[in-house]
Amino acid sequence: MKDPRILIIIPAYNESANIGSVLDEISHDTSKADILVINDHSTDNTAEIVQKAGVKCITNLFNMRYAWAVQTGLKYARDYNYDYAILMDADGQHIANEAWKLYESAVQTNSDIVIGSRYLKDLGYPCPFFRKIGTKFFAGLIRLFTKQKIADPLSGFQCLNKKVIDYYADCGNYPEFPDANLIIEMLLKGYKVTETPVKMRTRESGTSMHSGIWKPIKYMVTQFYTCIVLFVKYIGKRKAPHA
Amino acid sequence: MHNIYFIIFALLIILYIFYSIRKNKLSIANSFIWIVFCIILLILSIWPTSLDWLANVLGIAYPPALFLTIAVVILFVMNFVQSKKIEDLHKKVIDLGQELSIQKSTQKESPKPKTPKPKSKS
Repeated sequence: MKDPRILIIIPAYNESANIGSVLDEISHDTSKADILVINDHSTDNTAEIVQKAGVKCITNLFNMRYAWAVQTGLKYARDYNYDYAILMDADGQHIANEAWKLYESAVQTNSDIVIGSRYLKDLGYPCPFFRKIGTKFFAGLIRLFTKQKIADPLSGFQCLNKKVIDYYADCGNYPEFPDANLIIEMLLKGYKVTETPVKMRTRESGTSMHSGIWKPIKYMVTQFYTCIVLFVKYIGKRKAPHA
Repeated sequence: MHNIYFIIFALLIILYIFYSIRKNKLSIANSFIWIVFCIILLILSIWPTSLDWLANVLGIAYPPALFLTIAVVILFVMNFVQSKKIEDLHKKVIDLGQELSIQKSTQKESPKPKTPKPKSKS
């Protein structure tokens, strides 16, 4: 049986300060996977750093923002027949050798989506107070709507199998913030979503896409609204989890 | 006498709509609703008592309230339709941008091993 093809997708926007060290670490620790950086029309020299590192880079023609940059990578994975896609951030938060754990967990548990969780076990991740509240709130919503416990619904460190790659690549409504809402939707659609504990670091430098005052408020409100609407949308249409 | 201003205003808008159609800046299909608006405005300007008559039929004591209510409802519906159209166009722009970005970045590589499936709308 041939080895599964794995693609690590790293969306990056103005990450010149972090991307070099992130790629070094990934190339060193996960040699069995292909790496793809989606340069989301950065205005700094992110693309040059990626090309110098000899890593495949797709530059979006315009700035699409995080979610649709991820979807560009998923479309590439679909087109080139990858069996698994691992989503990692370019800010150095996600640790390369933990990515392999996600893949192994996906194979062992036969999961469609494996989420790298910071909170399943206490592995020393320093969680800011407001983030902790947000995480607990959305974890509670997921439990309420789907009866499944997901400890870290805001983690972007995920491993997706081919079925999910194809679904995300082709779906016309990939959300702007693919977090708790997408987990709820996939669970209600009957996909198998599991978690595995991973270590994470805090951002090395640069600013988060949720920085400031207005962006976190917008994020919380849209996420909450989307979760409620999704729950209503799937009333009577909920599918049993896949075996 | 004040009605003459509304009549001139409605006629100018109609002329501008036809000018935009001739210059291909507005499609005939999209011009329809605006022409209907202008015709309603013309009718109300030429026969102002028609609004009083309609308000009386509908049991509305203050006729200008009827005019404003109809205008708000029509604008709300139009805004909702435009919002849906913008959403649809946004999805298409993102989809096109993604496909083109992949093609441009991979054109020097071997061709795609698999033809993408037709997009399913969900």
